[in-house]
Amino acid sequence: MTTDASPDRPLLPSTGLKDGSIRRFAVHAVMIVLSFLSIFPIYWMIVTSLRPENEIFSTSLWPSNPSLENYVFVLTRIPMIGMLVNTTIVSAATAVLQVVTGLFAAYALVRWRMRLSGVIHGLIALSWLVPFQVTMIPNYVLASRLGLLDTLTGLIVPNAAHAFAILLLYNAMRSFPTEILEAARIDGANSWRILWQIVVPNMGAPIASLSIIAFISAWNEYFWPLLLSRKPENSVVQMGLQMFMSQEGNLWGPLMAAAALASLPVLVIYLVLQRHVIESFMKSGIR
Amino acid sequence: MLRRTTLKLMATLAAAAVLPLGAFAEMPATIDKPVTISFYNYNLASAGIGSEATKELIAGFEKKFPNVKVETVAVPPNEIINRVQADIVAGKQPDVAQLTFRDLIFIASDLGGNALEDMVSPEELKDHLAGMIPKGLELGKVDGKTYGLAYTFSTPVLYYNGDLFKQAGLDRNNPPKTWADVDIAGKAIKEKTGKNGFFPGAYGPSDGTFVYQAIVMSNGGKVRDGNKLTFADKNAAEAVKMLRDMVDSGAHARIDPASGSDTFAAGNLGIFVYTTATLGAYKKAAKGKFDLRIAPMPSFGEKPTAPTNSGSALFVFSKDPDKQRAAYELLKYLTSKEAYTIITSKIGYLPLRLDIVDDPNYLGPWVKENPMFRANLEQLNRLTATVALPGPNYRQVEKMMMDSVREAVFGKGDPDATLKAAQDQGQDLMP
Amino acid sequence: MTDIQADLARPISVARVPAAARLRAAFTLQPWLYLAPALCLLMMWTYVPLVEAFQLSFYQWNMLPSAPQRYVGLTNYQRLFALPEMRAALWNTLFYILGLFPMSVIIPLFVAIWTQDLEGRARTIYRALIFVPMIVAPVVAAILWRWLLNEDQGLITLGLEQIGLGRIGFLTDPKYALATLTWITGWKLIGFSTLLFSAANAGINSSYIEAARIDGASRWRIIRDIRLPLLSPTILLLSMMTILFGAQWSFAYINVLTNGGPLKSTTNIFYLLWEYGFQTMSAGWSSAAGMIAFAGFAAIAAGCMWLTKRFAFYDN
Repeated sequence: MTTDASPDRPLLPSTGLKDGSIRRFAVHAVMIVLSFLSIFPIYWMIVTSLRPENEIFSTSLWPSNPSLENYVFVLTRIPMIGMLVNTTIVSAATAVLQVVTGLFAAYALVRWRMRLSGVIHGLIALSWLVPFQVTMIPNYVLASRLGLLDTLTGLIVPNAAHAFAILLLYNAMRSFPTEILEAARIDGANSWRILWQIVVPNMGAPIASLSIIAFISAWNEYFWPLLLSRKPENSVVQMGLQMFMSQEGNLWGPLMAAAALASLPVLVIYLVLQRHVIESFMKSGIR
Repeated sequence: MLRRTTLKLMATLAAAAVLPLGAFAEMPATIDKPVTISFYNYNLASAGIGSEATKELIAGFEKKFPNVKVETVAVPPNEIINRVQADIVAGKQPDVAQLTFRDLIFIASDLGGNALEDMVSPEELKDHLAGMIPKGLELGKVDGKTYGLAYTFSTPVLYYNGDLFKQAGLDRNNPPKTWADVDIAGKAIKEKTGKNGFFPGAYGPSDGTFVYQAIVMSNGGKVRDGNKLTFADKNAAEAVKMLRDMVDSGAHARIDPASGSDTFAAGNLGIFVYTTATLGAYKKAAKGKFDLRIAPMPSFGEKPTAPTNSGSALFVFSKDPDKQRAAYELLKYLTSKEAYTIITSKIGYLPLRLDIVDDPNYLGPWVKENPMFRANLEQLNRLTATVALPGPNYRQVEKMMMDSVREAVFGKGDPDATLKAAQDQGQDLMP
Repeated sequence: MTDIQADLARPISVARVPAAARLRAAFTLQPWLYLAPALCLLMMWTYVPLVEAFQLSFYQWNMLPSAPQRYVGLTNYQRLFALPEMRAALWNTLFYILGLFPMSVIIPLFVAIWTQDLEGRARTIYRALIFVPMIVAPVVAAILWRWLLNEDQGLITLGLEQIGLGRIGFLTDPKYALATLTWITGWKLIGFSTLLFSAANAGINSSYIEAARIDGASRWRIIRDIRLPLLSPTILLLSMMTILFGAQWSFAYINVLTNGGPLKSTTNIFYLLWEYGFQTMSAGWSSAAGMIAFAGFAAIAAGCMWLTKRFAFYDN
C-alpha cells in the first residue's frame, strides 16, 4: 500500500479499490452536471451573438449560417474598444487599491491589538451594509466638487477601499502563524518589511482570489458609472451593454456580441490569476 | 416684535426662493457670442436608429447655429430624470432635457422647468407653435402653461399577426374594432393555434402607464380628478374588470410583462396593443416570418377611444438668458417640420405637426410607403393627454396604482376591492 | 516537526502574551498610519453620506437646492412600514436567504474540497467552468435566463415539453418565480464561493493533512476534523454574506426580470425599499428606506459577528 502522503495524490482507502472508483465517478458526475449548468447559458450567449438578425429567435444549437455581423455592429456603432479599455483600467486600479488598502488595514488590526481594534473592525464591517443608493447622490455632489465628473479617477476613488477586502485579508492574516512574525520582530525587522517580505508572499491565494473578485465587482458596476459618466467614450462596458436595450426593443444579436466582448477581459484575468489560488505558497510547518 | 418681523421676513424670503421665477430676464433675440448648452437625451443612450436620428438632428442644428455647441448627456429613459435632479443638486444647471410625461408635474413644480409663455415673447411663441396639433400641445401643459413640447411620442396601436388570424379562422383584413372583438379573436387564436391570444403592453416596467390610461379613459374613466384619485371608480374599474374577464376566458395571455414585445416579435402572440415606437423592430422581425398588421386601438363598444401619449417632451431649464436663447433655438429646431420628418420616418414616432404628413417635401413619400402608419395618425384626432400625478409622493402613488391593476387583472381576488384598497392607500399620499 | 495534537492543544494564550504586553505599551502611531487610507476613504465616501441620509430621513424634500425641507418626523418611516407589501417582502427575503445557502455555501464547499484531490488538469478545468458564470454581467445573466426560461420560445421550456413535463411559467407563475430567481442568483454565486473556498483550502497547512494521513485517518475524518474547522472562518464569512447580502444579490435580477412580481412573489425587503425609496425622487423616503435597510441588517450582522467569534477557529 502506498504511503505517499502528498495532498495532491488521493490516498487509496483501506477498504479497497472499488469504493475509491465509485467515489471518483460520483465526484466527476456531479462536477460535470454543475459545469454544464454553468456553461450552457454562456454558450447560448455566444451562439446567439453569431446568429444573423432574422434567426435571432431560432432554437437550433448552432447557427445555420454563423456570421460576425453583430460584432461588427457593436464595434462600429458604439466606442466599444474605448469602453473596454476604460473598464479594464478602472477595474484593475480598483482591484489593486482595494488589495493594498485592505492589506494595510488588516495588518494594522491583526498585528497591533489596540483597545480600539474591535471598534474599528466593527466600523469597517458596518460600512459594508450601507446601501449604495444612500451614498450615490452625496458622492455625486462631492465628486462634482472635486472635479471628478466624467473621469476615470472618479470611478476608481470611491471604491478604493472596501470592507470585503479588509475582512477577507484579516481572516487570512489571522491564520498566519505568529511565531514567524515574532521571530522577524525579534530579528529587528520593522513592520513595513515584515508586511511585504514575510506576510504578503505567503498570502498568494487570498490576494489572488480577492483580486479576481474585486476586479469583477468593479467590472460589473452599473449605477455609479451611470451617474458619473457623461460621454459614452468615457464610460464603461456596462453602459455599452445598456445601449442595446431600449424601449424600441432590444437588439438581441448585438447585445449578446457586446456581452461576449465584455466578458473576455474578465476571463483572461481569471485564467492568469487562478493558478495562484490553487497552488499554496505556504511554507510547511515550523522545523 | 422684532423677532416676529424677522421670522416673517425669513418666511417671505424662503417662499420667494420656492416660487418659480415669475418674471424672467428678457432673453436676447439672437445668439451673438459662443455658448454651450447641455442636452439630456435618452435616444442617444441606445445604439439603435433613435441614436442615429438624434445625432443627425444635432449636427443639423449646430450647422445652422455655429455659435452654439451642444453637449449631449446620454442617459437611459428610466434614469434620465434622476440624472437631471442630481445635476441640479450638484450645481450643474441642465439646459434642455428629453423627459417622459409621467414626470410632467414634478418637472414644472419641483425641477424648475421653464414655462414657454414666461420665457419667450408671445408673438415668437405663437409663430413657432402654429401648425402643431392643439391636442398635442396640451400634452406638455400644466395649469395652462406650456412646459414641454412633445418630441418623441406615440399612441397605442393594435398590432396583429395576420398568419395567426388566418390559422384561427379569422379574417385578417377585418381587425378587431372593439374589446368584445378582441375577446373573440383572442380566444379563437388560443384554441385553434395554441399560441397566445392577446396581450396589452400595459403592465410592464418600462412603458409607464400610458396604455393602461388609454384603456381606462376610453371607457370614460380617469385616474384622478384634481387631487382625488379615481382609478377605482366605476368606469376605470370596469375597464380593468374587462381585462380580468379576458384573462379568465383565456383570450388574454399570461405572459411575463417584460417579454410581451419579444413574444409578439417571435410570432407567438396574436394581438399586441403597444406603442408604434416598436414598429421598426417588428417589421424587421416579421420579414419573411409572419404577416404584420396594424389597426387603431380597440374601443369599448360605441364609445370613442382615448389614445394617450407615450414617450417624451423637451423641456428647457436654463436660467441664464443667453443660454435660454440657445436652448430655445434647439427646442425650435427639434420640433420643426424637418425634425419631425426625420423622427417619424426614421424612428416611428408621431409628428406634432400634421401639415407635414401629406407634404411631398416632408413626410408625404414615407407615409405612402408605409400605409400601416395611417392607423396611428388617425388616432391623433382623439389624442388624450396621459394624466401625470402631482405631489411629492407621485411616484409612490403611481406604483400603488399599477400594482393594484396587475393584482386585479392577474390575481384571484375581487378586482374592485383590490383597486379600492390601493386607491385609499394612495390617497393618503396625495397633496 | 511539531506534533499536530500538541499544536492544537497549545493554549491560545501563549501566542497572545506578546500582544497583551504590547497593549500596555504607549500609544503607537504605526497602526493608525496603516489604517489611514482605508478609514479616510470609508469615512468620506460611505459614512458622511450615511449621516446625511440619517438627517434627511426625517424630512420631506426633493433634494433641489431651491426647495424647502419640511420636517415630518417619523412619517417617512411609518409610511414605509405600513406598505402592504412589507410582509410579503420580509417573508420572501427569508426564502431567498435560505434558498441561496446551498448554492452560496454548501455546494461550493464540497466542490472546493473534492476538486482539491483531483488531478491537476481536471481540477483546473472544473473550477474554471464553474467560475464562468461570474464573468458575465448580472444584467446579461438575467436576460439569458429569461430567454432560456421563456414560456413560449425558451429552450428550457421546449426541452421540458419534449420530456413531457408541460409548460412551467418560470417567471410568470407566482408559485415558481421565487425559486427561479433564487436559482439565477445562486447560479452566479457558485463560482464566487468556490473561488474563496479554494483559496482558503489551499491555505491549510499541508503538514496537518500529512500527519493525519500517516496516523491513518480516513478521508471523511480528515475533512471533518481538519478541513472544516480550518475552513470555518470562510464558511462563516460566506454564510454571513449570504444572510446579509442575499437580498441585495438578487436585486439586480429582480430589477431586470420581474420587478417584484408576478403578484409580489419575488419582491424582497431590499427591492421594496428600492422601489418606494430610491426610485421616488424624494430624499425623505429614500433616506428612510436606506436607514431601515442599514439598521436592520446591522442588527443581524451584530448577531452573526458574535457567532463568528464564538465558532471560528484560527490556526496560529
